[in-house]
Amino acid sequence: MNETITADAAAARPRADGAEQGATSRQASAIEMQGLHKRFGRDTVALDGVDLTIEAGEFFTLLGPSGCGKTTLLRILAGLEDADDGRLAIGGRDITEVPPHRRSVNTVFQSYALFPHLSVRENLAFGLKMRGMAAAGRHAKVDEIADFIKLGDLVDRRVDQLSGGQRQRIALARALVCEPDVLLLDEPLSALDAGLRSQLQVELLRVQKRLGMTFVFVTHDQQEAMVMSDRIAVLNGGVIQQVGPPRAVYEHPVNAFVARFMGHDNLYSVTGRQGSRLATALGELIIAEAGEGELLLIRPETLDLLPGEVAGNNHLPAVVAERLYRGSHAEYRLEVGDTTLQATLNNRGRHLPEVGDRVTVTVAPHDLVTLSE
Amino acid sequence: MRKRTLKRGLTAFWWATLAFLYLPLAVVVLFSFNAANSAASFTGVSLRWYYQLMGNEAILSAFANSLVLAITSSVIALVIGCLIGYGMYRHRHRKLGWLIVLIYLPIVLPDIVFGISEMAFFVQIHRLTGLLQPGLGTMIIAHVTFQIPFVALIIYSRFVGLDPTLFEAAKDLYASPFKRVVHFMLPTIKPALISAFFLSFTLSVDDFVISFFTAGPESATLPIYIWGAIKKGVSPEINAIATLMIGAVAIAAIMSLLFSRRRHA
Repeated sequence: MNETITADAAAARPRADGAEQGATSRQASAIEMQGLHKRFGRDTVALDGVDLTIEAGEFFTLLGPSGCGKTTLLRILAGLEDADDGRLAIGGRDITEVPPHRRSVNTVFQSYALFPHLSVRENLAFGLKMRGMAAAGRHAKVDEIADFIKLGDLVDRRVDQLSGGQRQRIALARALVCEPDVLLLDEPLSALDAGLRSQLQVELLRVQKRLGMTFVFVTHDQQEAMVMSDRIAVLNGGVIQQVGPPRAVYEHPVNAFVARFMGHDNLYSVTGRQGSRLATALGELIIAEAGEGELLLIRPETLDLLPGEVAGNNHLPAVVAERLYRGSHAEYRLEVGDTTLQATLNNRGRHLPEVGDRVTVTVAPHDLVTLSE
Repeated sequence: MRKRTLKRGLTAFWWATLAFLYLPLAVVVLFSFNAANSAASFTGVSLRWYYQLMGNEAILSAFANSLVLAITSSVIALVIGCLIGYGMYRHRHRKLGWLIVLIYLPIVLPDIVFGISEMAFFVQIHRLTGLLQPGLGTMIIAHVTFQIPFVALIIYSRFVGLDPTLFEAAKDLYASPFKRVVHFMLPTIKPALISAFFLSFTLSVDDFVISFFTAGPESATLPIYIWGAIKKGVSPEINAIATLMIGAVAIAAIMSLLFSRRRHA
């Protein structure tokens, strides 16, 4: 029943039981945020009323452009920043006023923040030592986590002998070994090159699933957010725009900001509507669920291209203006009258129209979504 | 060919400069081992002047004074300068302009102005309260004041060179404010602390002007003793003291340099 263990108690808990507790046996904790506000100076609003509940054991991602407030929110969870207003509770206990060293929360920093005056092993044991665990217990715990994260002989190296990827894993292990109620990750992969990055994404995801620990992950990369997360919160201007599973956020963005941030370019104003028929710059389109929104989103991968001119509902005559062949798929820029439209075609051994070809674009009514500005 | 001539010329210039800097010191060191009584001729190697030093109570007392003064003032300056250096780091984002200038002013202030001011100040205090009788105590205070800026600067630059998230990582990993000092800050700045101590030590041993104005009758340090003795002419004994001082200061300066280059202990 770790929900009832407070951060204080967790910090002061005799580590004899902690030593017996396996790295995988811990219960996860939920996080509740109510009306969090944060301002820097007079003019900069970092958070403008954030209400959010993160479920126990969730891999939750705060996604948004730089300056959207995601890092500030994470720092408030860690206790490194105080909210001007609002409440924060972890595992049912209000910790708004609790200083960072008494919160059962650990952070993986973007710069990794490994202590240069300590060896890798001492870095890993730092949190346990500060909580008063005896040397023998620390040693066993560090060995256990080194085994779990597969650190191998890295444990006996000096910090300045490690590569970026190795530092990242040490930083993760140093936070996990403390068995916090919540693990916070501040763009932990952003300093790594693409290959290593996707490898560590998978590794991080596996670690989280095996531990069942609540992870709060900050990133500005929507691809990374979709790969990793159970749920995503998209932030802009210190306000949460949308919260939901990756598919919901990607396929049903609630507004133009979320749609654009998730990588969508095909947004068109709805100039008139009659039942399920929408008038747009592309022409008339039939939509399965009309909705209220004044913008129409057409995802490039829902489109199909037929050669020549074919008449029908949701059939739009177009000319291929540009084609980017990417092996597994091809990206098209199409001209429909005066308007452009992006389409992505799977390369399933089909005919891929060339630049200059006249084609007909088709889209199923249930793939169309309306949203507000 | 011309390039080579130029290179040779520059090399010669380098050695000439070194000779200009170190030849006088070399002469002092050489003649401290002179067997003869006069500085006119070098008659043979001997340690007689060093033995003579050991028997001279004024010199031994000056040596002890110098050592006590240097160590005590360096330790005090280390504590105060360290706190100031950390304070400057913590509030580096604020506009501290003038405060920083005030901390650094003693570095550029002429020693003679500094020394006279200290003396006048101590005399006034002594007249009013009976405290601060000129002696080792007043010298320690005076030395601490000119050592503090150097210590503060060294500590400050060490903190500035750190990743600021390290402070947050320590908080995040359950270190209370006290534990952060003991387990993170002090070990991290240890090389800078050692470097600052040795620099303060050399500054103190080197100082003559400020010591001269703040000393009492019983608290002559080695430089003050030399100043007094030299009025009667440069004796080979003085050469021996000078040689010992060169050695001590060189060792302290090298230690300071070594530790300032180490990123972590």
